[in-house]
Amino acid sequence: MYPIVLLSVLGIVVLYLGFLKSKSILLPATLLFLVVAMIGNFFEWNDGELLYFKGMFAVNKLTLTFNAIVLFSAFMIVAMTQGFQDNEEAQPAEYFALMLFSLVGAFMMIGFENLIMLFLGVEILSVAMYVLTGSDKRNLRSNEAALKYFLMGAFATGIMLFGIALLYGASGSFSLNGIESFVTLNQRSPSYLLYAGLLLVLIGMLFKVSAAPFHFWTPDVYDGAPSIFTAFMATIVKTAGFAALFRLLSHSFSGIYDFWWPTLSILTVLTLLVGNIIAVYQDSFKRMLAYSSISHAGYLLIALTSMTKQTENAILFYSMAYSFATICAFGVLIPVAREKSLEGRPNESYEAFNGLAKNNPLLAFVLTVSMLSLAGIPLTAGFWGKFFVFSSAVERELVWMIIVAVLMSAVGIYYYFRVIMAAYMKEGDTATIRIAPFYKIVLIAATLLTILFGLAPGLFEAAM
Amino acid sequence: MIQPPAIPEIIQLIPLKSYLILSTALFVIGIIGVLTRRNAIVIFMSVELMLNSVNLLLIAFSSYRSDPTGQVFVFFIMAVAAAEVAVGLAIIVMIYRNTRTIDINFLKKLKG
Amino acid sequence: MSLFLLVLIPLLPLIGFVINGIGFRHIPKGAVGVIGSLAALGSFAASVAVLLAFKEAGSQPQIVSLFDWITVGELSIPFSFQHDQLSLLMLMIITGVGSLIHIYSIGYMKHDEGFGKFFAFLNLFLFFMLLLVMGSNYVIMFIGWEGVGLCSYLLIGFWNKNTSYNNAARKAFIMNRIGDLGFLLGIFTIIATFGSVEYTEVFRQATGLPIGDPVLITITLLLFVGAMGKSAQIPLYTWLPDAMAGPTPVSALIHAATMVTAGIYMVIRSNVLYTLAPETLEVVAIVGAATAIFAASIGLLQNDIKKVLAYSTVSQLGYMFLGLGVMAYSASMFHVITHAFFKALLFLGAGSVIHAMSDEQDIRKMGGLRKKLPITFITFFIATWAISGLPPFSGFFSKDEILAHAFEHNKLLWAVGLVGSAMTSFYMFRLLFLTFFGTFRGTHEQEHHLHESPASMTIPLMVLAVFSALGGVIGIPEALGGSHQLAEFMSPLFDNSRQANPEAFMPISLSHSEEYMLMGVSVLVALLSGIAAYVMYISKASVPAPESETRQGVQRAVYHKYYVDELYDAVFVKPMRTLSNLLASFGEFFIDLFVDGTGRLVKALANLGRQTQTGSTGYYIFAMVVGIMVILFWNLLIK
Repeated sequence: MYPIVLLSVLGIVVLYLGFLKSKSILLPATLLFLVVAMIGNFFEWNDGELLYFKGMFAVNKLTLTFNAIVLFSAFMIVAMTQGFQDNEEAQPAEYFALMLFSLVGAFMMIGFENLIMLFLGVEILSVAMYVLTGSDKRNLRSNEAALKYFLMGAFATGIMLFGIALLYGASGSFSLNGIESFVTLNQRSPSYLLYAGLLLVLIGMLFKVSAAPFHFWTPDVYDGAPSIFTAFMATIVKTAGFAALFRLLSHSFSGIYDFWWPTLSILTVLTLLVGNIIAVYQDSFKRMLAYSSISHAGYLLIALTSMTKQTENAILFYSMAYSFATICAFGVLIPVAREKSLEGRPNESYEAFNGLAKNNPLLAFVLTVSMLSLAGIPLTAGFWGKFFVFSSAVERELVWMIIVAVLMSAVGIYYYFRVIMAAYMKEGDTATIRIAPFYKIVLIAATLLTILFGLAPGLFEAAM
Repeated sequence: MIQPPAIPEIIQLIPLKSYLILSTALFVIGIIGVLTRRNAIVIFMSVELMLNSVNLLLIAFSSYRSDPTGQVFVFFIMAVAAAEVAVGLAIIVMIYRNTRTIDINFLKKLKG
Repeated sequence: MSLFLLVLIPLLPLIGFVINGIGFRHIPKGAVGVIGSLAALGSFAASVAVLLAFKEAGSQPQIVSLFDWITVGELSIPFSFQHDQLSLLMLMIITGVGSLIHIYSIGYMKHDEGFGKFFAFLNLFLFFMLLLVMGSNYVIMFIGWEGVGLCSYLLIGFWNKNTSYNNAARKAFIMNRIGDLGFLLGIFTIIATFGSVEYTEVFRQATGLPIGDPVLITITLLLFVGAMGKSAQIPLYTWLPDAMAGPTPVSALIHAATMVTAGIYMVIRSNVLYTLAPETLEVVAIVGAATAIFAASIGLLQNDIKKVLAYSTVSQLGYMFLGLGVMAYSASMFHVITHAFFKALLFLGAGSVIHAMSDEQDIRKMGGLRKKLPITFITFFIATWAISGLPPFSGFFSKDEILAHAFEHNKLLWAVGLVGSAMTSFYMFRLLFLTFFGTFRGTHEQEHHLHESPASMTIPLMVLAVFSALGGVIGIPEALGGSHQLAEFMSPLFDNSRQANPEAFMPISLSHSEEYMLMGVSVLVALLSGIAAYVMYISKASVPAPESETRQGVQRAVYHKYYVDELYDAVFVKPMRTLSNLLASFGEFFIDLFVDGTGRLVKALANLGRQTQTGSTGYYIFAMVVGIMVILFWNLLIK
């Protein structure tokens, strides 16, 4: 609860700070505000289950942990912006404020107890992201990405709203508890309003987490948006989206598991196939990361489809591992692409990484660890993420799904290792890239965390 | 003298099914608009039509159940839609400035 | 004290990796080699100390729990090491042979610019391999398993300027992944069945199950798929010959002595499960025997010195699986040990030859090297003698024990093994004769350059030669007046199996005379093959035709001597050559087709999938709407 209030207010403060002549205060201020929000987040750590706004918003350990992951990711991404100092046209105050506001949306998605809150959260997050996607105003690619994201996002919102309306029509309530009691009462007699409503809401949310066949926006938007905001989208939107999906399905609709799991399982497999296979053909590292994010949505969906006691833990751990690794990947991509820029545009292809290790061992190492983690190689956090996800699927005996997933992760090796090969094995000359010390610290911290959770995944649970 | 019926009862003169069919029809018209149009603004208008069909549906349900939360939700949708309009039009204007067109078929640089 | 030593074993290589990995640009070359080798040697010393302590303490298996690792629901996985007879034996091989190969690499890789990187990877490999054998549960084993696969990938692709090397690396990794899929599913099935991954707990519960329980068969088959990938059994073996693209010490360490035996380690470790699943054991035996003869026959006509050794490795691994399949667990382990010695020696010897020949690997361009490389020659000769199964060297004892068990189990398997053994002897002597005897067939420049390798390379050769020659001592069978210390040492490992399936664990019922006869037959067959090789490649000094000449040229060279030759040619050489060529081109063709085909299929699909991403917003929304309609219709109307 505190982070929502804090960030809403502090976001406005950031906007006012934008009036100051010196822009250099913005970055430290924003980072400070994020730390404040993080501290606020843990104020309610020991309070058990809390409800706010007449039971429309819930706070418990699970939501707080999700909040913490989101906040931590945001902190790292904001730190990597370096205050947009090298870009004269940038409006850092607006960007930072929008990021903080969008976090508020993410928190609402994580802790919603009422579909109104879910809708508001989704919209707050999305509208901010539309703007940030198009923030590179003179760049046609950024423009195109923003328009695509906006049109498709608005369309998906429409679908989700129609679903919410149908759910309301069926159960007479927007609250998760109200819907749950309706579902348990009518488990035997199917209500088509309820079923159609559930499916449409699911589709709306699956769009946000880019599950196939609603993934089409993802590669284009991730590709066109400025890299720093792509990192934001790939981590925070995805984590919040899965938190919301988990809450919805585990809370209200666990009673009709038999109805929704077949659909979700087919979409899961489709997502895995689409994400992993198309990624093989990419020449752009950034676009590959977009497809990789689709494929990771597939792995997370496995946990969601199996919906066992372990699912909660699996989704938490997986989104954390995925977020850290993705942030590292973008953290390396941004300076490398800038260094190798072609015709004034950052070069985001695989070739840009050729021979990176020679003069930039740190960047190459960070990149390697993040790729290993994304590929799910042992002793990185990503391995345990996959392990937990698969073991929850084993409990439901969804073996065929695991087979697809493991085969697809073998395909994943191909495109993840390509960049490692490029960095270490290929010939190429990259001058030593200068990186700000704080940036370096963030990269090292995320890498160390990836390794640490890879060595001792028990730590994460102990922390909870 | 005959008392005019209370408002919910008037609404109930028309069966709920009709509201459902009407708003679904509106929603589908919106979807078809999105599918067939190439002008970004018209597509956006079609999306707004979809949202309004949802509003209609919510109000019908709300009245039939004499439960105000559905109508509250409608206000939220309106407010959010307004915010979306602001952002959406800004994006469209930005694109128009750069390319002098808002035909979505010309925006195909990102693909593959 | 013991705990400290135990942790030190994997920790030292890890430290070596960190030091060399981070500082390879700054540490001078000399220091890099010393650090890497010291890490391996230190680990070896610690292993020896642990082994001694273990023996002193009465050979009781011990589980040392370091910390609680993960708890998922009911399942808890501790991070703990188990040291018992099996893991100690593996430790000795890995750290012992590993140290020698580290030292050898100092000389071999001296001129390579990636010297530091190489040692870092080598140490990392040791770390994962040690983890694999030391862990006390399947999850730690799996982590080591994946880790060694990763290092193997990095080291195969080490000389990566060449794309085909990269492809070989990728092929290895992908094929191993297929195996890993089996392993992983096996682990998950174990979790689902026993609720634990700790060896002791799993085996304790497994003994309660009936023999031939379907769950056990499933688990063991899945685990065996994993073993097939890592230990290069049919059909997942083609990566190993391709893996020879890596530097030679890597081939010796990873692709001969240690990593590829991980599959055998896994089966021996899970011997209780396998003993309870006789059907799986049949599969293991058949796959092993088939691989043994198949790979050996391909090896007959290879001309690349490392390729011959690679196929030989595949074939010897087949023997080990044959041994496992007939429940000769300790005999297989014996062969793992002796094979580690002589195959590492062969590879290192080959490395020494390649080094002297300025990176020439084609045996048709060698010849007469024994005068220039005397130490290499003698050690290579010992290793050839050993691998051919000729007494009194180590290979004789271990191979013979496997064959004796096979004989008892099924005569056909034994016959297959025997034929494979004949082939082994032939191709190994062929290799030896073509390389070291006759006249030099290379360029003048190469001839001028010929030299014996430096001491850092020859000393490991000599040490390994001693072990290859005398390694058999640990397992001299009773029939020859020995006491088979190895089998006795390992016997407690199989207590559970013996208890669960006592019938299958009857001691060898062969009488001594039968054993003598078997030994006699296999020695005779090996000797005859060796002599055949001698006749062909020394007496007649025939050299396999170069690629450009047609096959007829070879035959013309083979003809024209004696009538016997023609008969020999028609009866033995020709069918063999046809078979070998057929298998090499045909069999591999299909397997490669499958692997490459999968790769190509994925690429084609990727291209197809990529085209769905047209860039048109209208199309995207259309696809979404279609998706929505299908979902709604399916759920609401059809279902």
